Amino acid sequence: MRNLRAVFEVARQTSRLLCMDRLYLLLWLLMVGGGVMVFLVGFRMTKLVDGTVLFAGSAWWMLGTVTIPWTTSYLCVQAVHGDVEDRTFQYLFVRPVPRWTVLLGKVLAACFLSSICHAFGAGMMLLGASFHEDRWPNGIDPSLFATMLAALTMLVVGYGAIASFFAARFRRPLIWCAAFVIFGAMFLPMLPAKAGLRVATLADPVRRFLFDRLDPNPRFVEVLWPSERGFTEDLIGEPLWNVAIVIGIGLGLALLSYSRAEYDSRERE
Amino acid sequence: MSAIESANVDVPRLRYAAVSKWYGQVSALSEVSFEVGREVVGLVGRNGAGKSTLMKLATGLLRPSLGEVRIDGHLAATTEANAVLGFSPDLDKLYERCTGRQFVAWMLRLHGFSGRAAFARAGEVLDELGLGAHMGRRIREYSKGMRQRVRLAQALAHGPRVLLLDEPMTGLDPIARHELSEHVRRLGKSGLGVLVSSHVLHELEAIVDRVALVHQGRLIAEGAVSLLRDQLREQPHRIRIASSDARALAGRLTPFAHVIGLEIRDDSLDVALSGEPGFYKALTAIAAEPTSLVLGVRPLDDSLASVFGYLVG
Repeated sequence: MRNLRAVFEVARQTSRLLCMDRLYLLLWLLMVGGGVMVFLVGFRMTKLVDGTVLFAGSAWWMLGTVTIPWTTSYLCVQAVHGDVEDRTFQYLFVRPVPRWTVLLGKVLAACFLSSICHAFGAGMMLLGASFHEDRWPNGIDPSLFATMLAALTMLVVGYGAIASFFAARFRRPLIWCAAFVIFGAMFLPMLPAKAGLRVATLADPVRRFLFDRLDPNPRFVEVLWPSERGFTEDLIGEPLWNVAIVIGIGLGLALLSYSRAEYDSRERE
Repeated sequence: MSAIESANVDVPRLRYAAVSKWYGQVSALSEVSFEVGREVVGLVGRNGAGKSTLMKLATGLLRPSLGEVRIDGHLAATTEANAVLGFSPDLDKLYERCTGRQFVAWMLRLHGFSGRAAFARAGEVLDELGLGAHMGRRIREYSKGMRQRVRLAQALAHGPRVLLLDEPMTGLDPIARHELSEHVRRLGKSGLGVLVSSHVLHELEAIVDRVALVHQGRLIAEGAVSLLRDQLREQPHRIRIASSDARALAGRLTPFAHVIGLEIRDDSLDVALSGEPGFYKALTAIAAEPTSLVLGVRPLDDSLASVFGYLVG
């Protein structure tokens, strides 16, 4: 119970510090811009694109593959490695709480802030799409928004877990995160289904989760997975397990590194 | 009963037992053993001697390669040890965007204080340390002295039994140094075990009960400053005196009974001493003469270099 309290206390403190980060404040503005963008794109799209595809496609490409990987990684690195970089970790590590509670609190804070901002962004995008009433012949299904939120949250936690490992283990975690995002979020998931390695990413299983929960009509599949031409429901597999394994490995390695590392305050030759 | 009173009086507040620390091939500490009781102990050594490493071993920020460190009987780096430990690091880094009070309160929350109790206690401690009027300002607006007090406040606020102060006097003006010295002295008298490090002995001389001298990762001397000075006087040692006229200087030093050897070099004179009573006083008098016979003095015995530097130089 005491450890749980420590996790939430560290999360609270970290959230307060991260909220003062200008980039995070800019992210909120970007989310508003995302809503406006969807509203404008709605005028240009062919009438064959329904509201679900307009919203889910926009949210996936803008939030799922760009802002979530980059900003969640950034926030997590700031939370976990920022302390190490400026040596303020010394104040936390001499408190009577285990180190794993400190790490979990920091990751929780980064993921929480990223999640609420992206949930707001998804809401703005749905609002932007909702103005095009002709694209919603059956009205807006509330489960569409809930499913998208669940998918985005999974991505946030996943990228948070991976970034926390890089932040706990490496001296230049942002470079590692950038490499992972470019390779693991922007390149590998774009490969067709026959490329088995895509399963080890976060974007691929979360995309399959969306196909599983939303009606995977061909246009929807084409928008979210342009390189896959022969999609069948057999390809959906176990997306939740895939995501859980990636998160588990990332977080497990992060906790191990953070608990054992000696973040000495001076370089040694 | 306070935390300080409840502690077992037989257990040293802080105990280093044959502690060694390596960074790969580099040895930072070699079999260091000493204890801190209910007293103020100064940890003295040059930069890079191993003082900060010793401090960080006690905080658990580093783990010993060999040996162990115990805080009030508990193995360092455990939650039990950290609960009774206060640490003020040498680096001047804090949460710049927080207020002083907020920062101290946040640290207290991790000791199990409720939000309200932490805020109140943070205010009390900062007030005691003279920051009462400024505790609501952001830390980035603080002067060096104020920042030092915030570091001290976060180390003291939870009522530790062992207090580690790493180079606390660095960057402070004379008034702030005096105030900090007074505060540390009071803490020592209240029953805390205080280990305070510095690379300048005279900064600590007035506040410590004992000093531990660290040189190249080894503990080379330990005890009261006056005792160490007396011991040094009885130690044979060699010094090199830089001089504009080494031959003339040799002539002046020959009559001293404790001078057991002289070697004239180009621009210096090596002197072997069997002890030093009266020698350095006389040397100082010669140095004060306008003849420039004494331009500088340095020890030649490496093992004694540090002791010499601090106690005599």
